[in-house]
Amino acid sequence: MTNPPIAPTISPDAMTARAKSWLRMRAIARRHAYVLVRSPHRLFDVSLWPLVDVLLFGSLAAFVGTSGSTPAAKASGYLLAGIVLWHVIYQSQIAMSTGLLEETWTRNLLNLMVTPLREVEYLGGVALFGMIKLVIGVGVMVIGAFAFFSFHTWSLGVGLIPIAVVLLVVGWAISLFVMGLVLRFGTGAEALAWGVMFVLLPLSGVFYPTKALPTVMQPVALALPTTHAFTALRSLVDRHGTDWTQVSIAAIGSLVMLGLSMWFLVAMLRAFRKRGYITRYT
Amino acid sequence: MADEVVLDARGLVKDYRRDRAVDGISLVVHAGERVALLGPNGAGKTTTLLMILGVVSPDEGAVSICGFDLAHQRSRAAECVGFAAGYLPLTERMRVREYLRLYAQLYGIAEPNPLIEAGLERFRIADLAGAMGTELSSGQRTLIGIVRATLHRPRLLVLDEPTASLDPDVARRVREGLLDLCDRDGTALLMTSHDMSDVVEVCERVVFLSHGHIVADGDPDTVAAAYGRGDLAGVFLHLAERHEPTGAQQSDHP
Repeated sequence: MTNPPIAPTISPDAMTARAKSWLRMRAIARRHAYVLVRSPHRLFDVSLWPLVDVLLFGSLAAFVGTSGSTPAAKASGYLLAGIVLWHVIYQSQIAMSTGLLEETWTRNLLNLMVTPLREVEYLGGVALFGMIKLVIGVGVMVIGAFAFFSFHTWSLGVGLIPIAVVLLVVGWAISLFVMGLVLRFGTGAEALAWGVMFVLLPLSGVFYPTKALPTVMQPVALALPTTHAFTALRSLVDRHGTDWTQVSIAAIGSLVMLGLSMWFLVAMLRAFRKRGYITRYT
Repeated sequence: MADEVVLDARGLVKDYRRDRAVDGISLVVHAGERVALLGPNGAGKTTTLLMILGVVSPDEGAVSICGFDLAHQRSRAAECVGFAAGYLPLTERMRVREYLRLYAQLYGIAEPNPLIEAGLERFRIADLAGAMGTELSSGQRTLIGIVRATLHRPRLLVLDEPTASLDPDVARRVREGLLDLCDRDGTALLMTSHDMSDVVEVCERVVFLSHGHIVADGDPDTVAAAYGRGDLAGVFLHLAERHEPTGAQQSDHP
């Protein structure tokens, strides 16, 4: 009655480790794409909210700009350029953080953790998906700013690219920190996924030079890489070209931030395994 | 192949805040062996499984799967293991075929369609391929979970309460599918269950846990006889009584 054993057709060595990693990352990205496409309210993140933001800040910019003074015209440009670039952080951060939160909300964490999926592959997968969301979300803003307010984001030049890359890295760093908190403290920490952004927003001088902040807050602002990135952005808006000093400080700061966040996440993951926190999600 | 060790867990200890969940468990499972991990609630079964799966790290001891040390080669070890539990949901917002494809790719299978067809056919649920996870009954979800866990033909299949809350017909399909899998592929099976009829039908070896220790290990008849009981249910009830706080001073051993 017993059938003769057959050799498993699936050999762990059939693909190279790199090919398997890439396959897993794409699988994770596709899994989150299904969530996005099949949850219409999630599409708001990349369509409605960016549009609402561009309308809000664009209208504010149009109103401020009507006074005709040079500072008002500058402020108008700062508002629109600031909100478009702010969404680079927002989209990259939210996509990654809610990627992990989605697994906790649906009690899917154990399903994933028993597979060969490595932590770095999971992060790579959600980051890959986050890039797609980022392109859509920021694309909606750029088009909205042009269509409604004749604001040509691309006219700021290629200097936008390094600034956007720095802000992307900052978004990833914040999301790794939030993920660490969720692993350690459970879904109660999820409020931080959104809240931490709104701490950063005023301190980074997204829409104004940081000298407009209360004096006591200015040293804190200067310690943030985002502050330097947005200072470089204002230099572009003012047609002073790329401020490579500010971009460099921002780049170094964002890498330090990313390194610290990774260290924190690894420590929290170790605590998660040590203390058996997986039972929160089974 | 039968002598090949697929699971080698040595001296596993796990303390949680208030008590010791697992206290020095060692377990070796060979290729093709079908082993049931049994015991009352709180005996340490699930914690032991989670340590074997690498999701919870042991305070002491080590786990090796197919020769891969779990602490240092978790991903390689996980390629040899499949896991399903009756209490785990399917990934939401995905059709069954998409869900199975996702997990096959996580196991490094680039073109999983033939394996998905075969896996669904093994448990006679090919008609569910296009269904959304949310449209399935709990029994169907359990079956899909087992298909997912076996797509990559693991050397070791770990199941936590696979037939819990299943109707008799679906439970029978699960048992038949598992026996077929173990016979055809030489897969070793390590499962927990509170249904002793499942255990007798599927497993050739039972390991009873109590208070985080292994208190009996052998074939079902020998273990039942050692406790002077007619069947495994009698052994289970005996240990469950001992597991109560009032019975803690009595011996769990035969």
